Amino acid sequence: MRATRWRSWARRGPASRPCCTPSPGSSAPTAVRCCCAASEARWGPPAEGWGRIDDLGENRLSALRRKRFGFVFQFGQLLPELPAEENVALPLMLEGVPRKEAVARARHWFAPLGLEGLEQRRPGQLSGGQAQRVAIARALVVEPDVVFADEPTGALDQRTSTEVVQLLTFATRETGAALVMVTHDADVAAHCDRVLHVRDGRISDHSQFTVA
Amino acid sequence: MRSPVLPLTWHLAKSSGRRGLHSQLLAAGAAAVGSFLLLLMIAASLGAGTRADHTTWRTPDAVPAGKATAVQATTTTYVRHEPVTVVNLARLPGRGPTPAPPGLSGFPKQGQVYVSPALADLLRELPADRLAGRFPEVRSYGTIGAAGLASPDELVAVVGRAPGDAAVSKAAGEQNYYDENLTERAPIAGFSGTEASVFTGTDQGTVLLGVVLLVMPVVVPASAAGRLGAARREQRLAALRLAGATPRQILAMTAVEAAAVGAAGALAGALAYTALLPALAEVPYGVGAWYTGQLWVGPAWLAAVVLAVTALITVSAVTTLRQVATSPLGVAQQADPRRTRLIRLLLFVAVLVYIWSTTGGGQLKPRQLLALLAIFYGAFWLLGPWAVDRLGRIVGRRAKRPATLLAARRLSDDPRGAWRTVSGLVLAGFVAGFFSVSSLGSEGPRHEGQVAVITANAADARHTASEARTLLREAGVTATVAVTSEDDYESLLGGINGVTAQVTGGQEQIDTAVTALTPLGSGRYPITQEYVSASDDTALDRIATVSTATLVLSFLVAAASAGLTAAANVLDRRRVYGLLRLAGTPLLVLDRARIRETVIPLTVLAGGTTAMGVFGATQLNKAAGTTINTSGAVQLAICVAVGALAMFAAIAGSKPLLRKVTAGPAQTAD
Repeated sequence: MRATRWRSWARRGPASRPCCTPSPGSSAPTAVRCCCAASEARWGPPAEGWGRIDDLGENRLSALRRKRFGFVFQFGQLLPELPAEENVALPLMLEGVPRKEAVARARHWFAPLGLEGLEQRRPGQLSGGQAQRVAIARALVVEPDVVFADEPTGALDQRTSTEVVQLLTFATRETGAALVMVTHDADVAAHCDRVLHVRDGRISDHSQFTVA
Repeated sequence: MRSPVLPLTWHLAKSSGRRGLHSQLLAAGAAAVGSFLLLLMIAASLGAGTRADHTTWRTPDAVPAGKATAVQATTTTYVRHEPVTVVNLARLPGRGPTPAPPGLSGFPKQGQVYVSPALADLLRELPADRLAGRFPEVRSYGTIGAAGLASPDELVAVVGRAPGDAAVSKAAGEQNYYDENLTERAPIAGFSGTEASVFTGTDQGTVLLGVVLLVMPVVVPASAAGRLGAARREQRLAALRLAGATPRQILAMTAVEAAAVGAAGALAGALAYTALLPALAEVPYGVGAWYTGQLWVGPAWLAAVVLAVTALITVSAVTTLRQVATSPLGVAQQADPRRTRLIRLLLFVAVLVYIWSTTGGGQLKPRQLLALLAIFYGAFWLLGPWAVDRLGRIVGRRAKRPATLLAARRLSDDPRGAWRTVSGLVLAGFVAGFFSVSSLGSEGPRHEGQVAVITANAADARHTASEARTLLREAGVTATVAVTSEDDYESLLGGINGVTAQVTGGQEQIDTAVTALTPLGSGRYPITQEYVSASDDTALDRIATVSTATLVLSFLVAAASAGLTAAANVLDRRRVYGLLRLAGTPLLVLDRARIRETVIPLTVLAGGTTAMGVFGATQLNKAAGTTINTSGAVQLAICVAVGALAMFAAIAGSKPLLRKVTAGPAQTAD
């Protein structure tokens, strides 16, 4: 992978919404994982006070990902045995926030994301769109600097997909977090400020939009 | 056309990669543990019966005096707290030949002494005034073969006597209240007695008690092996259905794969049992270690167990798959938490009330007792998952830390799974807790250090006392000799005419005193406390041993079950774990959650029942005015501590697997 190609946009910092649209077989998801320190091949200081991430050990890297990043995946990221509100509260509890406060803060996200009344439902009792919105709440509850979304709409129908992306971009904008999203869907990519097209591991094209 | 099921199953199994192989190895491991323990339980039950059968010849098979060819007087003496069974035999003059007793080449001639190998060793080891002096003096002892012995450690002597010898006289066989089954005399014509010795007679029944306690905790996790790796199989099911396979083909493939894995595991367990037989035979129970052949169940049982375990695993795998076929998404997403209902508690209470009312009426027949036990067992298994579910909910409500919360929610999510792991310990804990601490049976007056000689009447007693003082002095034993009468219930003899010697100086001195006083017994050995309480002590010792063994085996089952389930869960849930790790969840939290998933029900349920057992025994002991069995309590504590550590180690064994499967989230999460 050509790390240097990614460095420029990875360093742009919060409040930016770049999007990667990889061609089939390209390595954009891998690149995103490099940025969020989830891969062996990682680089750069993504946040102040943490030093170079390639120098960080497993525990510090976990803490970095937990405190400064939020994650939304295609599917399967929710713990099936926890009710929705506890899934959202979990990252806060991992940070040492008392359970009562963590759940209260988690519940705060349910209404804005249209999840009211679903707090006690388990992931298996939620629709795909609802589960993704719970995942967005979980990504945002720690008030991260960057939210990484890897094909967040890949398992959703068109209407739900649009709803989820709108919520994701709205919520990240409201919290001031940068959103880095990987998608194959041009409609989804259109919600982002910048789009980077990746082909065979290289950025083949990029465009910039002004989102209203 | 040839069915594609077999070749396709083989091809898919081969190409399922390392993770597929892991799942299959785990399932085979569970099957192996199951078949090994089942064979062990069958071996112990059958072996205990065989051992008892080997002692029946010692109980005289009385025949009418006219038909008798010999006289047999069997009695027991003790050395170093261990029983020595002495079979005195005398040929009746002018009668036909008597067959040789089992283990001997011929009927012993007058003056011949045959001893078991263990007794021969002991005779060599101990000075003659402690043991050898109790038998007629001979140049060399004959050896009793395995056919006449229950165990290689058993202490048995067969002594050829003259027909007029005191040892085979009527007086030698007179029964007092404590003599039953320990001393018996009768005219005989052979050795076809059917009553086992007091030291082996209760062995099989007690082993069966342990088997009843263990069978479900062993069978259920073994059959659950078919569920290991269910997630992987579900994924394959979806892929195969998309590729056009029919549900019947998928079921057949699952059955073939599960049967092959189950059979391989069950065979491995059977092989391990066969290979370990010599080592297993060294584990003492009751009268001592086993002859290897006693623990060999035979090819029929071996095949039956392998087939049964294979069938259980196959049925379990196919049943799980049927659920997937009915609602694949529901199973995959765990949409329907396996909630348990209050009706389970109500049924359990109803069964308890029924048992209480039935047993209150008086004596029950064994069949009724067995039926009640089965009903209780069923109700207990019904209650277990409900209790785990409740526990999960209570802990979940109060959990402050993420690891505890995750563990509690997992308990509520699959209470049956958690119950399968700890169920054996919950039952065995109570039984072991009760019997290892209890000193019941020994609540009667004990006269430790006393050696008693029975005499015909009070006058004889006075004379015998004087002789006893002389003999003890000559033997170097310090003792206070007293005469007991029919009104004296404060001595070992309890209201029987005789002499008691209160010996000081420990067991060595008591053994020496018994040997010294042997000539005074008119053919009967002097008795000690062990002789008087032999029946109760033996029964309680066997129950205590079996309950401790049950607890040990329950821990073994629980450790194996917890370890295998933990590893299988890591494989099944590697995607979720991988993504959690990616999102910054420390692996330590996941490790703690996985361990607490077992620790919580183990501590609360199994710990609770063990504590109940200990408490019950302590209260009963207090009521009976005795103290608790301290060494039993220490043994229990060590067993619980080691068992719990083994369980945690088994769960912790899957830590590296968790790290491995979540190491490269980029690769494994997808």
